[in-house]
Amino acid sequence: MITNTIVETESPEEFIEEIEKAQDCLPKKIDANPKTVEKGLAKLVLTLIELIRKLLEKQAMRRVEAGSLSEEEIEKVGETLMKLENKMDELKGIFGLKDEELNLNLGPLGDLM
Amino acid sequence: MIALAHGHRTTSVGFQAEKVKMNNAVIKSKEITLLEILDRVLDKGVVISGDIVISVADVDLIYLGLKVLLSSVETIEKLRGSPFVGPMQEAR
Amino acid sequence: MKLYLYGIIDSSSQIKQSIYGLEGAGVYNIPFCDIGAAVSEICRPPQNITEDAVLEHEAIVEKLMADFTVLPVRFQTVIEGRDNLLSMMRGYYKDFKDNMERLHNKFEFSIKVIWPADKIKENIIKALKKDEQKKLDLDSSSGKRFMKEKFEKYKIDKEFDAKADKFIKVMDIFFSKFAAEKKNKKLKTENLLMDAVYLVEKDNERNFREAFEHVKSSRPDFKYLFSGPWPAYNFVVLSKKSCLPRDSEQADLFDKVTKDQILVGADSI
Repeated sequence: MITNTIVETESPEEFIEEIEKAQDCLPKKIDANPKTVEKGLAKLVLTLIELIRKLLEKQAMRRVEAGSLSEEEIEKVGETLMKLENKMDELKGIFGLKDEELNLNLGPLGDLM
Repeated sequence: MIALAHGHRTTSVGFQAEKVKMNNAVIKSKEITLLEILDRVLDKGVVISGDIVISVADVDLIYLGLKVLLSSVETIEKLRGSPFVGPMQEAR
Repeated sequence: MKLYLYGIIDSSSQIKQSIYGLEGAGVYNIPFCDIGAAVSEICRPPQNITEDAVLEHEAIVEKLMADFTVLPVRFQTVIEGRDNLLSMMRGYYKDFKDNMERLHNKFEFSIKVIWPADKIKENIIKALKKDEQKKLDLDSSSGKRFMKEKFEKYKIDKEFDAKADKFIKVMDIFFSKFAAEKKNKKLKTENLLMDAVYLVEKDNERNFREAFEHVKSSRPDFKYLFSGPWPAYNFVVLSKKSCLPRDSEQADLFDKVTKDQILVGADSI
């Protein structure tokens, strides 16, 4: 069966690599096993915490950029964000979750992060 | 220009090196063509839902199927391209 | 009677071409008012997603594309019985008609562009080092050091994103000149700068192709993928309000959210 549409590229391997990388965050088959349900809950909670943490970090960066933080505030915010990041790394380690896994697909709205 | 031609045969055992190289390029172009097609037919276009639709292509299975399909494509193509496979066997 | 659905066509007449579908059965048109559903009868519901099945499906849709405006239907859509098919057509009739009008005589083309993300970031880092304003002192305190590192990364990412926008904008000027509609996914991965689809009128195909070649030659350090003509998979728009049975109130609520396009959270993280 021959299709008339052409797919033209001089670099098929590179495109295959990038396309597959982009698809790595696709939702996996739903599994109702109790062990995975527990892990699923942890994933959900950690995803939401990650969202907030990233929002806070971004907000802090904007304020640094605008110059609206004092030296003392920069130090305090930095300490807090650092502790938060370390805590999250610890929790991810405990539940065996990777960064790419902590995301939510909202269907037509795209991915959460 | 890469138009997808399906069902080509590898018959001769000579010029192995060149054939493997050509087959590699052919394999990769087939793979990219398949990816382009899959991206479209699996969940774009008219997507109808409801009780009247009996479809095995469940959303979860689709994404699972994509990975499975791609690895099976590679296996099939490797077998087809291999100069050591005798008369063309359908690898199913 | 199981009907495998390939596409919705803008005709109530018979399909003149001899097209063979799954299980070797003939593809024919089941009309509804002035449009129709291109189907073939199958005995066994499709089991697996195989390479052959996908290629076969796509080839059939493209054959239909030669004679009709086709709204391609998702792979392995099977409807039980003619009555159900006709009630589906009734429910989606307005949607289908609207799409037919918009998509008549137009095809979809895909352009993907890979750029060297690492090199781009290297250049950004070099440029940033040049005009570094010491916003943060080199302090030994850990909080400040953390912030400095994060801020540097933030600046690089921001500049990287801005560069992506710039390149896409420039390329898009050329492509969209000949396109009726377009969609783009920016930076799906760091290297995949652009993943775009364009809806191009049949008569503009050559111009569109030339525009692509022009962009390609003016920026040879990038990598390009061009594909088409496809049936307008990415440009079919179905309003969520159909006459099909709804599952629950929650589904309606979700629809309201998507229709009003409320964005979740702040800008993209």
